[in-house]
Amino acid sequence: MRLVSIPKDKYNDYRLDLMFDCYKWDPQFLDNNTIAKHALVLTEKEAEELKVLTEKIDKETRLAEEFLNNNLHLTKPLALPKKIHNELKKMKNYNSDSNIRLMRYDFHPTIENKWAVSEVNSDVPGGFAEASLMPKLAIDVIGNKNLSFINFSDILVNAISKKVVQNGTIMMVHCTCFSDDRQVMQFLGDRLQEKGFDIIYGAADHLNFKEKQAYSILDGNEKKVDGIIRFTPLEWLKDIKPKKWDGYFDTITPSCNHPVAIFAQTKRFPLIWEKLEANGIDLSTWKELLPETKEVKKINISDEYIYKPACGRVGEKISIKEACIDDEYEKIIKDVKKHPKQYLVQKKFKSKPLISEEGEEFHVCLGSYSVDGAAAGFYARISKTPRIDSNAADIPVLIERS
Amino acid sequence: MNGKEIYKIWAPESAKWTEWVRPVPFIRIKEDFKNTRINEFEIRNINYFNEIQKNVAIIVDLPGYDSIKEGIALVKYGFRPIPVYNGTFEQKDSVATTDNTVIEEALVFGAVELKKLQINENALPAFLIDTNRMNRYKMSVSVFDNSWDLYHQDIPSAEYFLKNKINKIIIRSNIKIQEDLNRIFYKFQSKGIQIYFTNGFEEPKKVLLKKPKEKEE
Repeated sequence: MRLVSIPKDKYNDYRLDLMFDCYKWDPQFLDNNTIAKHALVLTEKEAEELKVLTEKIDKETRLAEEFLNNNLHLTKPLALPKKIHNELKKMKNYNSDSNIRLMRYDFHPTIENKWAVSEVNSDVPGGFAEASLMPKLAIDVIGNKNLSFINFSDILVNAISKKVVQNGTIMMVHCTCFSDDRQVMQFLGDRLQEKGFDIIYGAADHLNFKEKQAYSILDGNEKKVDGIIRFTPLEWLKDIKPKKWDGYFDTITPSCNHPVAIFAQTKRFPLIWEKLEANGIDLSTWKELLPETKEVKKINISDEYIYKPACGRVGEKISIKEACIDDEYEKIIKDVKKHPKQYLVQKKFKSKPLISEEGEEFHVCLGSYSVDGAAAGFYARISKTPRIDSNAADIPVLIERS
Repeated sequence: MNGKEIYKIWAPESAKWTEWVRPVPFIRIKEDFKNTRINEFEIRNINYFNEIQKNVAIIVDLPGYDSIKEGIALVKYGFRPIPVYNGTFEQKDSVATTDNTVIEEALVFGAVELKKLQINENALPAFLIDTNRMNRYKMSVSVFDNSWDLYHQDIPSAEYFLKNKINKIIIRSNIKIQEDLNRIFYKFQSKGIQIYFTNGFEEPKKVLLKKPKEKEE
């Protein structure tokens, strides 16, 4: 795995093309450019190794979530928000064959020359255009014919086409006030529209459910909905008033993702592995890749461990001291004390930075997608600090033919 | 001109602060763009400055394309307008809370005006936002909510401003300082940046922002 520079004289046009032709509408976050000046190049062997690991770990996740869905009495240690926990029993009718299951596992290279997985984005993984259009543009700009990539959107669109009725109506459910959510939905919506689907961009409360079937109530777009692509996280959904969101839990309308995703979305998922293993669920790949994870029992943990929020996203509220700014670390500790069940303790892995051609060090988070159990491409971010958060830069993932 | 070409006029590569120009409203501007609603685009006078400014940034929070017109008028006082509009467009055939498309049209008009002007590459930043972004009243749940907030990540950090010798930020608005700005600039204030306010008629006056409610932070 290595970093290859985007030619300096082409970088500004590359950045502009990403914004205008590749749905990258958030190229700046605070003082940081979120578009890397490099591409991440994997060998075919590394790409194959990640594919195998992704499919193995994904199989374990899907078996575990289906088992938990049928054995809700085991889920207490997950400490899911009460409003969500109360709806879980509605998911009895969940059928994995009728829904599209999309996940992204975040891999990190470690100093032991191994991979560590920091989490699975089980509920609403993003980065669709960055995993589909960005690599193609990077290959054009770098101009190396030995480079290729896996087009994530082709795989996802195919999976959706298999499960949603042909030319059907799909609602792209997202927070309509956020342009960075819309860019993800717009990219996928445009691809689905090319396949003949009728696309509605709407918010979570623009769906109504009658006899478990979804209907759009969005002004001027009132109609039956044949597919739901959801980018609004479940833990935000639960705060919508009046409460209509419970229909997502037992709908017969094919969904990506169905709320069954919540079991693996919480970072407390490892806290019930023992129970799962006792019931014959194999979690060996998870155990090999995820650092040791424990309940928060005391506040003074050693430097070898970190606190992570159960419902954290994009690296937020993780207590990696050297990556925290201002009084962020103290605030996290204060919050852990106040809400220990909303956190967990995890052993820190030592990320192995890559050195760029210019001699700069970058830490890597390499997201590997799975769609209905099959590996489906990569989305990566790099950062000068070991914590990969919103300040990190998106980087295209390419594969070099040997 | 298409959206990309218009964007390049607003965000020339070599000029300072242009990394923050948000591409969102430029994306939908196509070659065959036709103005439909703007009848006049006269650049008005600025009443609250009478000389070229130093060590200051300004947030122009005015409704619709007035913010763009004022941003261009500020060039005379040493500023470069930096549009940070972030509102999306509504689903076809739906009623929306906020009209973000008028901004697209005004950016095209503004680009024509900007091309006529000489702006120093180190000009001070005038961040442009639309007061109507906070129009989020929904008569019914079926309305498309494309209102938006300015967030701290949409502009440079307080540290970056200070590093670039900007220790004073003026908020220019026809109304009070809106919640999202209060949330961002309260933190700036605590880091030593002075916050001023002007209604456009009076000289900017120093204000002390109140701590936002815990939930809003």
